[in-house]
Amino acid sequence: MPQMTVIEAIRTALTEEMASDPRVLVLGEDIGTLGGVFRATEGLLERYGPERVVDTPMAELSIAGIAVGLAMKGLRPVAEIQFADFIHAAADHILGEAAKIRYRSGGDWSCPLVIRTAYGGGFRGGPYHSQSVEAFYTHAPGLKVLAPSTPADARGLLLAAIRDPDPVLFLEHKRTYRLIKGEVPEGDGVVPIGRATIARPGTDVTVVSYGMMLHEALAAAEMLRTEGISIEVIDLRSLLPLDRATILESLSRTGRFCIVHEDTRTMGFGAELAALAAEEALDVLKAPVCRVTAPDVAGIPVSPPMEDFVLPNRDKIADALRQLVAKQTRHWASADLARTAAPEPSLDPWTRSALEIPQAASIVEVDLSQVIAYQEAHKDAFQARGVELNVTAFVLQATAEALVALPEVNSAFAGESILRYGSVDILLEVADGNTLKRGIIVGAETRNLRGLAQAVSSILAGAATSTLPEGGTFALADLGTEAALLAVPPVLPGHAAALRVGAVTERIMPRERSLVLVPRVYLTLSVDHRVLDGAIAGRFLNHIKTFLEYPTMDERT
Amino acid sequence: MSTQIDKQIDAQATAPAEIADPTAEELRASYRWMLLSRHLDERMWQLIRQGKGHFAVPCGGHEAVGAGYALAIRRGYDYVAPHYRDLAAMLAIGLTPRDVLANFFARAADPSTHGRQPYAHWGSHRLHILTLQGPQPNHVTHGVGVAYGAKLQGEDSVTFIAYGDGGAQKGEVHEAMNFASIHRVPCVFCCENNLYTQSVPLSLESAVSTIADRAAAYGMPGVSVDGMDLLAVYRAAAAAVVRARHGAGPSLIEARVYRYRSNTSNDDDTRYRSRAEVEEWRTRDPIPRCRAELLAKGVLTQDDIDTLEAEVAAAVDDAVAWAESTADPAPEDALLYTYAEDVL
Repeated sequence: MPQMTVIEAIRTALTEEMASDPRVLVLGEDIGTLGGVFRATEGLLERYGPERVVDTPMAELSIAGIAVGLAMKGLRPVAEIQFADFIHAAADHILGEAAKIRYRSGGDWSCPLVIRTAYGGGFRGGPYHSQSVEAFYTHAPGLKVLAPSTPADARGLLLAAIRDPDPVLFLEHKRTYRLIKGEVPEGDGVVPIGRATIARPGTDVTVVSYGMMLHEALAAAEMLRTEGISIEVIDLRSLLPLDRATILESLSRTGRFCIVHEDTRTMGFGAELAALAAEEALDVLKAPVCRVTAPDVAGIPVSPPMEDFVLPNRDKIADALRQLVAKQTRHWASADLARTAAPEPSLDPWTRSALEIPQAASIVEVDLSQVIAYQEAHKDAFQARGVELNVTAFVLQATAEALVALPEVNSAFAGESILRYGSVDILLEVADGNTLKRGIIVGAETRNLRGLAQAVSSILAGAATSTLPEGGTFALADLGTEAALLAVPPVLPGHAAALRVGAVTERIMPRERSLVLVPRVYLTLSVDHRVLDGAIAGRFLNHIKTFLEYPTMDERT
Repeated sequence: MSTQIDKQIDAQATAPAEIADPTAEELRASYRWMLLSRHLDERMWQLIRQGKGHFAVPCGGHEAVGAGYALAIRRGYDYVAPHYRDLAAMLAIGLTPRDVLANFFARAADPSTHGRQPYAHWGSHRLHILTLQGPQPNHVTHGVGVAYGAKLQGEDSVTFIAYGDGGAQKGEVHEAMNFASIHRVPCVFCCENNLYTQSVPLSLESAVSTIADRAAAYGMPGVSVDGMDLLAVYRAAAAAVVRARHGAGPSLIEARVYRYRSNTSNDDDTRYRSRAEVEEWRTRDPIPRCRAELLAKGVLTQDDIDTLEAEVAAAVDDAVAWAESTADPAPEDALLYTYAEDVL
């Protein structure tokens, strides 16, 4: 495969397509005798003559308008707007005409034109020779917008654009023209419109970019490789239509999203990519979306220090990526995401509970006969495996089951919304003699009775603490035989409910026409009243009660 | 004002010697296009006042322009980028009263826009009528592009481009005329000057009162004709079309007209035009003038006129009744035709 620059690849595509399709003609300023200010059309006038290689007046509006007419007539015009900064004079014909002709005529007419234009900064060109215009034109359904970054894609996509039945804006980053070299396949080599490509595979972050910034992103990824950070870089190539599937698939693997473009930030193309992640990939994101863009300045300045300050580059991208890898979101509804500690609260959680959370308590009484019978029957077997089977493990199991069955309880109040957790992480408080031991059992819903008993044992084996560990999705306190008959637990910040197990006491109860001693316990559930109400609290408690009183414990466990 | 216009027209509207007068058959057809256009126009105005339809664009007063240039072109072969008041030309080229009313009611059967554009945004690929847009006069460069393309394709078709005196003030027209003249593009520019851009009078649109004068700046012939005189328009259009078809390049025709009603159904012309002025222009109505001329020439008899009147009224009744009852587009059809294929 021959090596060529981006500008050579574009010239090759034009030369080939004009040779093979007599409908193709090019028009624009300085494209004939001069061969274009960037030489994209060099040699075309000599080969194809002035009727098909039209040096137009310096009049962008009519370059676009006449190209629209040519396309409607059945030709395949490729118009050049010398600098993207000048395209706005033609915007009415691109946005208002070309993009709408098929639609407004109900499919009766079409407008298969291509408008090529050189965009982007880094050339000390100043505000009127450096603009990126993709955000304006990707907001125009009916238009297709392409932004290749490599020679092979420049040729392959330009061929696809000329052959496409709809209007295409072909954005060529002028820094890539001579800087970027690469192999270009001979023969057809058409690159389909609407497909992104993974320019570099990686596992930690998905970077999406296009044009010159794609190369800066690749350089940043290489810098980070030596730091042990693996960056996946997606070359969008086609901005409209957008290859959403490739981005989402990558995000599902990396969970971190960095968007890089040279255009300014607010309402830039990256905003659409961020919206895609917010709509379709929030559950896999481990950190907030990150954008590396030019700041919202009104133009790219010509002064080298100012231009370099404004434009993104590999160092700025690498810095952003390092920060992104270090970040973790606090709460997301996905079981496979580890939540991290909340920012240091200014008050202890009990005070915050009292000050911030309106609470209400509900109580049920549970018959533990079945639990204790099972415990007696299997104590030795569990002990043989090194596990102490206690009532707490049964209550934990019943609670985890109830949190799965009623996931609204496994949640937290978050201002304007309610966070619903995807994993059941129980903050357990247990008594060990005169001290309290505390720990979080992550993924309690995935553990069986033995696993839960082991978790209780390991918390008991740990050190006593006077503070609460941060996190968890629900709190359970079981203070053993020394506990009060019943007590109301505080709902902790970040949780929607807390359960307190009272002391197990034997009471005389009627059963089958006689009186028997029955081990009984009070369970008290406190709820955050902004999230839950007494009805759901009752259902939740009864779910636990039913589980614990179920007569055939053996079958279930 | 009209006296001034008359002087201008008398000075410039000289028919090229090589242009033959239309045949009696052609004259009868032209009169019918104008009459049908007027009847449809009046009916749509009534319908809007009854709260039916969405938007009306009156064309009364402009009929002789559309009928005149339609007579001068090869209808269905030559391309037209029409003014939105060229209903007479659309009927001449092949849109039917039912097509027009389907467009007016935005029905599924609307062949020009399939319910997507308001009334008078014409278009037909089959009939070589370019699809029209809202912003005026963006179709002028499109017409130049079509004409340049036709030349490249080796056709001898001509593209007839019509627009208003308001549109003529935009850079669009300057760029189009400049390019067309440089490359001797086979097209005709026809400015239908009705003296107002909605409410703004010509004196505030242009420092020269004769738009045709501008042709000189582009190196093309320019004539100003009485656009309410069918034969005057025909002769000027035919000369320009012949010139374009033979490779001599574009021309500019200024057709002096007057619109009798408001700019659109959303306009109130009493705020900017005196009734006396409107009434004065009513005396120059192109349809009675054409009728009188054809009666005098013996091309039409009073019986023919009565028959035509009844036939046209029946065609309009049929079109309205049919279009009122024909189906709206399916709501979800709004999702069709953004691209050739579903790519988003």
